[in-house]
Amino acid sequence: MILAMLRVMTLGLLRDRGALVLAFALPPAIFVVFASIFSATTSDKLDLKVAVAQLSSTPASQRLEAALRQEPTFEVIGAVRSNRAEVESLVKRGAADTGLVIRGELYDTGAAPFEVLVDPSKLMAGSIVSGRVQELVARRLPDLLLSRTAITFQSVIGTFTPEQSGRLAAAVEAGARISEPQGATNPPGLVATASVGSSDSSGATVTYYAGAVAILFLLFASLQSAAILIEERNSGIIDRIAVGPGGSAVVVLGKLMFLTIQGVVQVGLIFIVAQLVYEVDVIRRLDLWLLITVAAALGASGLALAVATACTTKQQAQTVSTFVVLICSAVGGSMVPRFMMPDFLQEIGRLTPNTWAIEAYYGVFWRHETLPDVVPEIVSLLAMAVVGTASALIVSRRRLRF
Amino acid sequence: MEIPAALEIRDLSACYGDRKILRRVNMRIERGEIFGLFGPNGAGKTTLVRAVCGRLKPYEGTIMIGGKAIRHGVARQIGLVPQEIALYPHLTILENLQVFGRLSGLGATETKDAIGEVIKHTALAGRLQERVEVLSGGWKRRVNIAAAILHRPALLILDEPMVGVDIDARITLQNVILKLRDSGVGILLITHDLQQAETMCTQVGFLHKGGIEPQGAPRALLDLAFDGQHEIIIETQLPVSVDDEVVLRERGFSPVEGGQCWSVISNSPLHEITEHLEQSGLATKEVRFRKPGLDSLFLHLADQPGTGFGGPRR
Repeated sequence: MILAMLRVMTLGLLRDRGALVLAFALPPAIFVVFASIFSATTSDKLDLKVAVAQLSSTPASQRLEAALRQEPTFEVIGAVRSNRAEVESLVKRGAADTGLVIRGELYDTGAAPFEVLVDPSKLMAGSIVSGRVQELVARRLPDLLLSRTAITFQSVIGTFTPEQSGRLAAAVEAGARISEPQGATNPPGLVATASVGSSDSSGATVTYYAGAVAILFLLFASLQSAAILIEERNSGIIDRIAVGPGGSAVVVLGKLMFLTIQGVVQVGLIFIVAQLVYEVDVIRRLDLWLLITVAAALGASGLALAVATACTTKQQAQTVSTFVVLICSAVGGSMVPRFMMPDFLQEIGRLTPNTWAIEAYYGVFWRHETLPDVVPEIVSLLAMAVVGTASALIVSRRRLRF
Repeated sequence: MEIPAALEIRDLSACYGDRKILRRVNMRIERGEIFGLFGPNGAGKTTLVRAVCGRLKPYEGTIMIGGKAIRHGVARQIGLVPQEIALYPHLTILENLQVFGRLSGLGATETKDAIGEVIKHTALAGRLQERVEVLSGGWKRRVNIAAAILHRPALLILDEPMVGVDIDARITLQNVILKLRDSGVGILLITHDLQQAETMCTQVGFLHKGGIEPQGAPRALLDLAFDGQHEIIIETQLPVSVDDEVVLRERGFSPVEGGQCWSVISNSPLHEITEHLEQSGLATKEVRFRKPGLDSLFLHLADQPGTGFGGPRR
């Protein structure tokens, strides 16, 4: 009997080409879009448009300009301007992500020689440019840093002796000839950054968003498909089936089976794209992938059936579904990673199926976790399936009486 | 050996919370019999059907279907045809029958055999591969019935099975229902079409105030209510004035169909009534004379205070 219900749903999907495309073509397409966007924005190879103004031209500032133009993180737009107002206007108009004003003599310790102009909506771009300029000066213009440091030293320990001044001048002159750091000859910086795990940061993002988009679509598709329960209730189909030996449970369980299979296929397509296009190693962890996917699909289906049986009209179900998908996806990390959220939202996010699914997929495919590591997430998803389905069975049975 | 009744209800009472909807209802439908159930909206017809289908636990009383006491939620002896088209529109007729055959508990082979038999009863052959969504209202109604009889139920419940169909489809559907009756199925027909019920039903019952009263064979009920009387229906040429209304009401007429049609059930000869109206200056367009039908009985009950009948007058 459950298979008969499965057949109804399958034929319904196969005969609705629009729904078919939405169910199976859209998820991989959205995944590619998400992966492309976020793998670019989370790597260290940003392409920020920077407008530069040089208030007074000196050999040092010219060397800095040349260094800026060679910097792969930036794109210095147009010619270097000679006044601050022009750069400010470019930033305000959005023609440049940030502005960099080289204010004067770089040896002057009385004022900051650089000013970064930033639009309030792009504060992160300002921080990146600021950090990169400091790094650039240290790496490409070490003589400037040495000169500024020497001036600071003299204010603390007194004037250098002629001999010390001579050696300092020679060092500055030698530094000015350096275009790139000379490895061991330069002392290490204060901060060294080391990448843990794989060095491919875009791979981590792709893996993250494979899980994030998968659970997003599981919820979306399940909630949409489960709404057919309301049509069946209104058309008397459930009344008719309920007098049979299977009762209304057949309708709920048949749909649970269909939605789960549909979900596994959807997630399968997303991870096939992840494997083929982004080299996420799905095949080697196929057993765990299947386990997580079945649990996630069951969980989403259970939730969807609970919502569909609780709602009295299709419009009501659509509104509630949209709300559930948006809230769970936003708080659960399907749109923006949870670590970027405030603490209280991160805690709330732990209660969403999105977080469970994302953590499980990310753990297996990026952190190379094993089954015991992802058991809590899988159990949470299965618990949601059990609670949702039980609720749907009880509510649909109760509804037949009124 | 005595064949058990398709449906037997004894002293059935049912309530929603504190509200008692059915009060000690009794009825019996034999196999091969059509029982027409009427009643105003809210009288409890749906509640009765829910109780028979095992979806509502009765407060008291028993329901037997095919001689077996109904157990809550188990009712394989019942075929239900809801008022709505309870079919999957994107599936073909054949696919719908296959699905509902399996959902009614039949195996694959049993379903195939049952479909073969059902399409004979309902004359569906030839369009089995067409999707339900493209069928006309009459064809949909036929499939709606076919899907409910695949498992050969002892009792078939038809809830307004002919709503919204044209006259040809109506006749076809009537024939389908009569064929099912002849095959030995007991049929509970819930309808507002009293003329149709009069021609098809072997028994009828009026559900009001929580009970089915009166009930019996249509002819017997009519004879009991209108023994030797006839019904006179007049249609006036113009809308009835206040003075005309006084005249009509004096002669026992009641308005039907918006005020220009009036009817009376009377022993008086037709000519006496019409002459009186003419003398009163009432211009009639048409005068009809007939034996009272179930619709007349319905109106008669409606005129009795406290019956709760407020249904539309034909």
